[in-house]
Amino acid sequence: MPDMRFAPPNPLRIADRSSGLNAVSVRSHNERLVLSLLLQKSATTRLEIGEQTGLSAQTVSVLVRSLEQEGLVAKGEAQKGRVGPPTVPLTLNPEGAFSIGISVGNRHTDIVLIDFVGKIRFHKTLPNPQLAHGSNHSDFLETIARAVKLLPDAERDRLAGVGLALPRHLSGGMDDEAYFEALQAEIEEQLGIAVFVQNDITAAASGESMFGAAKTQSDYMFFYLGANLHGRLILNHQIYNGNSTVSFDVGISALERKLIRQGKEVEALWDRVGVWPDYGEVISEWKEPLIDQMNDSLNAISQFVEIETVFLSSYAPERVCQEICRKLEAANPNIRASAGNIAGSPKAVGAASLPFSSRFMVS
Amino acid sequence: MRTILCYGDSNTHGQIPGGTPLDRYTFERRWPGVLARELGTGWHIIEEGLSGRTTVRDDPIEGAMKNGRTYLRPCLMSHTPLDLVIIMLGTNDLKARFNQPASEVAMGLGCLIHDIKELALGPSCTVPEIMIVSPPPMLDDVKDWQNIFKGAQQKSHELALQFEIMADSLEVHFFDAGTVSTCDRLDGFHINGEAHENLGVALAREVEAIGWK
Repeated sequence: MPDMRFAPPNPLRIADRSSGLNAVSVRSHNERLVLSLLLQKSATTRLEIGEQTGLSAQTVSVLVRSLEQEGLVAKGEAQKGRVGPPTVPLTLNPEGAFSIGISVGNRHTDIVLIDFVGKIRFHKTLPNPQLAHGSNHSDFLETIARAVKLLPDAERDRLAGVGLALPRHLSGGMDDEAYFEALQAEIEEQLGIAVFVQNDITAAASGESMFGAAKTQSDYMFFYLGANLHGRLILNHQIYNGNSTVSFDVGISALERKLIRQGKEVEALWDRVGVWPDYGEVISEWKEPLIDQMNDSLNAISQFVEIETVFLSSYAPERVCQEICRKLEAANPNIRASAGNIAGSPKAVGAASLPFSSRFMVS
Repeated sequence: MRTILCYGDSNTHGQIPGGTPLDRYTFERRWPGVLARELGTGWHIIEEGLSGRTTVRDDPIEGAMKNGRTYLRPCLMSHTPLDLVIIMLGTNDLKARFNQPASEVAMGLGCLIHDIKELALGPSCTVPEIMIVSPPPMLDDVKDWQNIFKGAQQKSHELALQFEIMADSLEVHFFDAGTVSTCDRLDGFHINGEAHENLGVALAREVEAIGWK
């Protein structure tokens, strides 16, 4: 038996020195731990990583060096503290990885390209692709291929993948999971890009949790205001998807019906630019059942867990969301409600967060 | 007070390029001195640089005392408790008399790392932090030393990768001195005052980045 101390070196990661992102298979659990911390916080230090993962300073050093070489992590300037030695912050390199998110909404499909810190580099809204039932999602494939082309050639190998956020009704009553899997396989085979598929509301919740207002929170109720109102419960950073198809018809569709009855122009409601004309009293009338419904959901959940924090995510104008939050707080003094801050298309940004969480974070 | 041991060869000793082993930069100009200045109060820097030191090899010409492995153990014991051991060795192992590839020099370095871990002479009998520093590559023209270092230049360019592979395998800190300094043209394998300054500053930042409570 040879002395294994002097066996050939067996480096954790260094063997793969290609310039692009490393293959998924070689990313170790510990590396994912470090990246998870960095995706959850905007900046950390090697000391903090060690304290939170239980890894030794030397192991953290090896992991961080390897992530730096891969271009995923950037070292900041040393900061002199009032006491003790200076700290050296670590952050994600915004250019380290990119992701494409696609969300299929009520009428439109949103496509975003985001960088590693969640900044939207490109956002386009297209009419929904027509889904030929059962197979051949050629419109989807074309849309994704267009999105990939947004990335300069040199950055193409830094594309972590495509996230696809699909609403429940798109699967046409089939078992959701089987449908999503078939779609994913088809896209991957034809375009050669890793595709991650998720329910759109869950995706919006992940986006808000990774890049938005909810970044620092671990337990909260997440509402998504689209055509309908949807909810997700987040406990200890985990999004509970549940198996309930429940959504409430108190959302923007309900507002649209009210406005049409009054003969008003409704196109702006579905616009992503985030400005609604002054609709007058109709807005207050619409908000009432919406806030009642949110409050009912919170009351129902309060039987099981105490929730003090609420996030409301929507492509509706931020001002409208903030007003809803204030009213919700007035109706339920135990909670603090905030509007999500992913402008434009929270669902598409959420979709784009999926390749990051799948490839870089611990599950 | 934290203690750092700087364990190396003539380039830690501060030998002046083109000079004799007796020509030495002053403490303030040698990289351990620059490191001390940069880290400031609260750090105690111990210099252990010996001209001609190898990683694990008894030198048949210069003598067995140039073997970095046999001297390391008593040296660690003398200076315990140590918070960090910085090792910059490897150039002398490339001398023609040893006939070793860069990967074997890295294996020798691995022995030193195992020895440090085994002795556990850090605070409260823990393993101190260990930082491997690969020396800057030699220049092609090493003047009178051409025969002694026959074939060494090419290998010296491979040390950084081989050392980093070893550092990663054994999970220790690593820094490539070649990223901030070069050897001086006067002899092609010693570093000059400017290189000492750059290396000391860079290593101070590396030491800080480890994170200390």
